[in-house]
Amino acid sequence: MINAIEGLGASMVKLALDAAALRHQAIANNIANLHSPGYVPLAVSFESQLEALRRGQAPGKPELVEQLDRAPGPRPQDADMEMVALAENTIHYQALIKGIGTQLAILSAVASDQRR
Amino acid sequence: MDYLQAFAISASGMAVEKARVDLTAVNLANAQSTRSADGIGVRPLRLVSAARSGTDFPALLAGAAGASLQGAQIVSITTLATPPRLVFEPGHPDADENGFVAYPGINPVAEMINMLTAVRAYEADVAALNAAKAMALRTLQIGG
Repeated sequence: MINAIEGLGASMVKLALDAAALRHQAIANNIANLHSPGYVPLAVSFESQLEALRRGQAPGKPELVEQLDRAPGPRPQDADMEMVALAENTIHYQALIKGIGTQLAILSAVASDQRR
Repeated sequence: MDYLQAFAISASGMAVEKARVDLTAVNLANAQSTRSADGIGVRPLRLVSAARSGTDFPALLAGAAGASLQGAQIVSITTLATPPRLVFEPGHPDADENGFVAYPGINPVAEMINMLTAVRAYEADVAALNAAKAMALRTLQIGG
């Protein structure tokens, strides 16, 4: 029943929250290794799997991938790129929290039969 | 979200950068030292860091699933074989037979740049830590 109300949206938000949390760890790892020789920056591949969910297939988990097209470390010059990605990901995460909060508010309105 | 892991990653980066600043301080403190315990004179120290790859079970499990997220670690502390800076000071107790004193080949400019780079990287680690904190606190607002 609750799943019927939540629909696809809530399950996608949950997956996206997992992906954003993992992406934060990947960015933090990249920042911690700005001076590590031979370190390959990491990223999270997830948005491509959302497409599978939209088609009705079960999506996989967000997974870590090495960004082989970027130069290996040490790369202190990439600090600004990582900080931009960090800020973007944090805001994205907070927007997702807001989204799931709205869905829960709708659920709560349904459960209370609109009496306040 | 595994916040402890996110905090640990940033903390490992902060520890590495703090050690780098410590080494810079050691180098600058010894810029005028003419003797060392091993007798070859003071040489500038450099810190070598790398991505941490643990061998405990969670690390191996994470490694099997792809790349691992374990932050950075200090690999070694090496000395640079820079030639000494010879200064003509005949009265100095460490002067050679020609009156030259061998001061360490420590370049203050390079040391300052190393220190600034480390401080900036440390600040980036702090920013990542604060972002993780903001996300963790935001999570508590779900349904509230």
